[in-house]
Amino acid sequence: MIKFLLKGILRDRSRSILPIIITALGVGLTVLLSGYLKGAFGDIIDQNARFETGHVKVMTQAYAENKDQVPNDLALLNVSEWMDTLRADYPQMQWIQRIKFGGLIDVPNAEGNTRAQGPATGMALDLFSGKSGENKRMNLEASLVTGTIPKDSGNAIIGHDFSEKLNLNLGDEITLFGSTMNGSMTFKTFIISGTIRFGTSAMDKGALIIDISDAQLMLDMDNATGEILGYLKSGVYEESETSSVAASFNDSYKQFTDEFSPEMLTLREQNNLASLLDYADVMSALFIFIFVLAMSIVLWNTGLLGGLRRYQEFGIRLALGESKANIYWSMVMEAVLIGVIGSILGTIIGLGITYYMQVVGIDISSYLDNSSMIMPSVLRAKITPSLFYIGFIPGVLAMVFGTMLAGIGIYKRETANLFSELEV
Amino acid sequence: MIKFTHIFTLLLCTSFVVQLTKISQKLTAKEIIEKVDDNMSSDTQITESDMVIHGKRNSRTITSKTYIRGKHDSYTEYLAPAREEGTKMLKLDDRLWIYSPSTDRSIQLSGHMLRQSVMGSDLSYEDMMEDRELTDIYNAEIVSEEEIDGRNTWKLELIAKVNDASYHKRMIWVDTERFVPLKEELFAKSGQLLKETIMSNITKIDGRWYPKKMNYKDMLKSGKGTDFIVKSIEFNAEIAAHIFTKGSLRKS
Amino acid sequence: MKLAFQLAYRNLIGAGLRTWLNVIVLSFAFIIIIFFNALLQGWNNQAKEDGIDWDYGYGHILNENYDPYNAFSIQDGHNLIPETIDNAIPILIQQGSIYPEGRMVSVLLKGIETDQNVLKIPTEKFKHSTANIPAIIGKQMADATKLAIGDEVILRWRDKNGAYDASNITIIDIFNTTVTSVDAGQIWLPLEKLWNMTNLHNHATMFVSNNEYQVKPLVNWEFVTQKALLKDIEDIIATESIGSAVMYLVFLLIALLAIFDTQVLSIFKRQKAIGTYVALGMTPSKVVSLFTIEGTMHSIFSIVVGCIYGMPIFLYLNQSGIKMPEFAGDMAIGLDKAIFPVYDPLIIGLTIIFLILASAIVSYLPARKIAKMNPVLALKGKLQ
Repeated sequence: MIKFLLKGILRDRSRSILPIIITALGVGLTVLLSGYLKGAFGDIIDQNARFETGHVKVMTQAYAENKDQVPNDLALLNVSEWMDTLRADYPQMQWIQRIKFGGLIDVPNAEGNTRAQGPATGMALDLFSGKSGENKRMNLEASLVTGTIPKDSGNAIIGHDFSEKLNLNLGDEITLFGSTMNGSMTFKTFIISGTIRFGTSAMDKGALIIDISDAQLMLDMDNATGEILGYLKSGVYEESETSSVAASFNDSYKQFTDEFSPEMLTLREQNNLASLLDYADVMSALFIFIFVLAMSIVLWNTGLLGGLRRYQEFGIRLALGESKANIYWSMVMEAVLIGVIGSILGTIIGLGITYYMQVVGIDISSYLDNSSMIMPSVLRAKITPSLFYIGFIPGVLAMVFGTMLAGIGIYKRETANLFSELEV
Repeated sequence: MIKFTHIFTLLLCTSFVVQLTKISQKLTAKEIIEKVDDNMSSDTQITESDMVIHGKRNSRTITSKTYIRGKHDSYTEYLAPAREEGTKMLKLDDRLWIYSPSTDRSIQLSGHMLRQSVMGSDLSYEDMMEDRELTDIYNAEIVSEEEIDGRNTWKLELIAKVNDASYHKRMIWVDTERFVPLKEELFAKSGQLLKETIMSNITKIDGRWYPKKMNYKDMLKSGKGTDFIVKSIEFNAEIAAHIFTKGSLRKS
Repeated sequence: MKLAFQLAYRNLIGAGLRTWLNVIVLSFAFIIIIFFNALLQGWNNQAKEDGIDWDYGYGHILNENYDPYNAFSIQDGHNLIPETIDNAIPILIQQGSIYPEGRMVSVLLKGIETDQNVLKIPTEKFKHSTANIPAIIGKQMADATKLAIGDEVILRWRDKNGAYDASNITIIDIFNTTVTSVDAGQIWLPLEKLWNMTNLHNHATMFVSNNEYQVKPLVNWEFVTQKALLKDIEDIIATESIGSAVMYLVFLLIALLAIFDTQVLSIFKRQKAIGTYVALGMTPSKVVSLFTIEGTMHSIFSIVVGCIYGMPIFLYLNQSGIKMPEFAGDMAIGLDKAIFPVYDPLIIGLTIIFLILASAIVSYLPARKIAKMNPVLALKGKLQ
């Protein structure tokens, strides 16, 4: 039966192509919009994750307690061992180190005397290894106003407005004066390789970004780091995944008696993000619901119309003696087939575009006046497990329901009327 | 570290000129301070010392050598650990430079920077720069006599007479025989105790009684404070004049 | 033309359920677009209003030596309050340290007049306090320092000559704001008190102006406009707006898909009618326009329907606001407890025009086929 129907669908393109195209389009759009909404509502969270919290963050308990003070004296030691442990135990995540620090930037004149000074908010990222993805994650390349990302030790990028205030040019030397994790004075000379603008005044007027190896050297933090951030390799925050990672890590390594033992916090547990996450979930669920509802109506309509347009055919079949139930049944089965084919196609198309939107995204930076780089200037979708089935709700259910409704007409028809309808 | 050296010059004013055998009981507080001051300072002074910083998770020792000329000029070079080696600090009157060998640059700290804390401690560079005579800043008064660790002391109360003293009030316990301070407390205008210094290990060096150990503690913060331990001290030694020029802030 | 509209109207009404299904879908899209835009606009306004209420006022007047992004400038960045200044409240900023549980935490001390009404900082609470030094902090600060109302904590500061002073301050109130620039790392004190504490009588670091402030040049002071202060927020909103436009587009596509679908089928089904029209003397182009109007009319119906059920919802939400969970991320995004959607007539107008145009296009596309039909075959209802 199914084989027969399938043949019918494939051979009679007039009754298959349009419904399948419409179903596929509708399902594809449903998948895409759901993915997009998931991504859109997650962008504030995503922004926090990228700049601040990671999907999870490992710090010593003492550091976590005082993290607003950037307490590098409480940093995590033996980082390479911890990194190995993390990589081995949780290969589904990418682990990177970051150090935040404060310091004074001193700009020398030709004689080596102080020409200008200013306090800097420093951030050390893994830029040199080439594997950390920090450049992309922090949107550094796109946020550069002049110059390049540091490629060698001793290079730094600085907030663009900050560089103007200090009257710095690319290639200029600055001395960073700060204190090591042990509290000693420390100095390091950096060459300005680029200037950056994130669009938040605080960063643009005071940020200094260097490679983590330079920071470890300068801050006497050999094999130590303030924070280890973990990002799921999919790039998208998954509540259940991260919380199980954090729970298992804390179970194994967090010691309540030692405040310098590490502790892993999920994004949710940081920066009061829990309620924001809940809000995003509720809002995206709401919009997806409305959307699926709307799509269902459209596809129901398609099913309905598909049934209606074949009244003639059914009339002939009834006239030939086929039972109404049989016609009805075959029609519904056909709808199921069309719905399934359309939904599969649509889900593939939708997932494809969603995946593209997740990985590449739509770059809207040209629509912005190049000022809010800290906000994602690339719109991204997010593939979640629900996307794999959500399209089938409007695609199959609505389609079939529509067809069933349309098919009721078959029962209403009087055989006597058939001939007038057969009149061609 | 230089700051402690300065506290030494400031508070202890290192010079036990004569080993005073008997002191008249009629000394006024001012005279006692002047005695401590006069007796403990010398024209020049070279100190090698260890600073033990009790951090939250570990203790570190930093060794430095300090040259002091008069009241206003000092030069410190760090000797150990390796990381600090070669770092220099030069203070000439109210100017302060810090030199780092790794960058071969000296940075002058001025204005707002001087209010920042030194080495993560609770002491600002400004605290360290204070080089006025105690008697110029404070009116002193003997409050009582007390015994500390078996030594008789005068308890002096110093109230600021100028309005730009960092600490409005100081209490100093001075050994009645050796003219060496054994304890000092620093107070805010409100009367709140801010800092406490305890001198110990009083040793006779070069004919002077000198505290070889000092614990400096911020009373508002938890922790064990910082120890300053004198390893060697030389009074009235010859110090070449070029030490107290910016030229000395170079790689040696 | 009138006839075309009448015919289209009759045909649509006659189609019954099918029409209404399309109309409902389209009206969903219409309502969602308007609503989401209003929500975003409301959020935008909310964030701006919060910024204005808590921090920006109608612009800041900063001492020329004060740079809000350079903590070192605080020491010298203040001066005597100019006599000519009015419609602006002075704020004196000084640095200090508090010691909750023996940890030193650097803070900004901000002195503010107790009877000011330019900013929402609950300064009136100072008046009823008997504490020696009453202090107000934000929730974020309270969380970071684990301080609660009624707690005392020791504060150390320096007066204008650099003399240390220290005393217990009493937290008399904790305010909840989305504006972190008045919260994180800050302690609000009565201005008089801070003057006394620091001996900086009649000094201010900055002023926050109210809406009656007249900008005039002041020696040693610089005016920063409200617009400049709001720039960070505007940038974030701009990103959000573009992001939501993508959503509208996808949503609209679905609705248009419905119209397209209907058009294709109704043209297919009504070949006889088309043949009849042509036979009766209508030019094919007229028939095309008839069908286009018919399709487009869906959008007009949907707007009417959307208004019928949308208006009461919108009005209700406008009254009660949309409840948002409490949160304050690290980013300066103001989302208060309830957002009141703001309906911009321009946006609504544009949405309507866009909706009608888009539906006209998708109605026209399948209708083009009519022009190519053989009227005789069409009249016979032969499939073409």
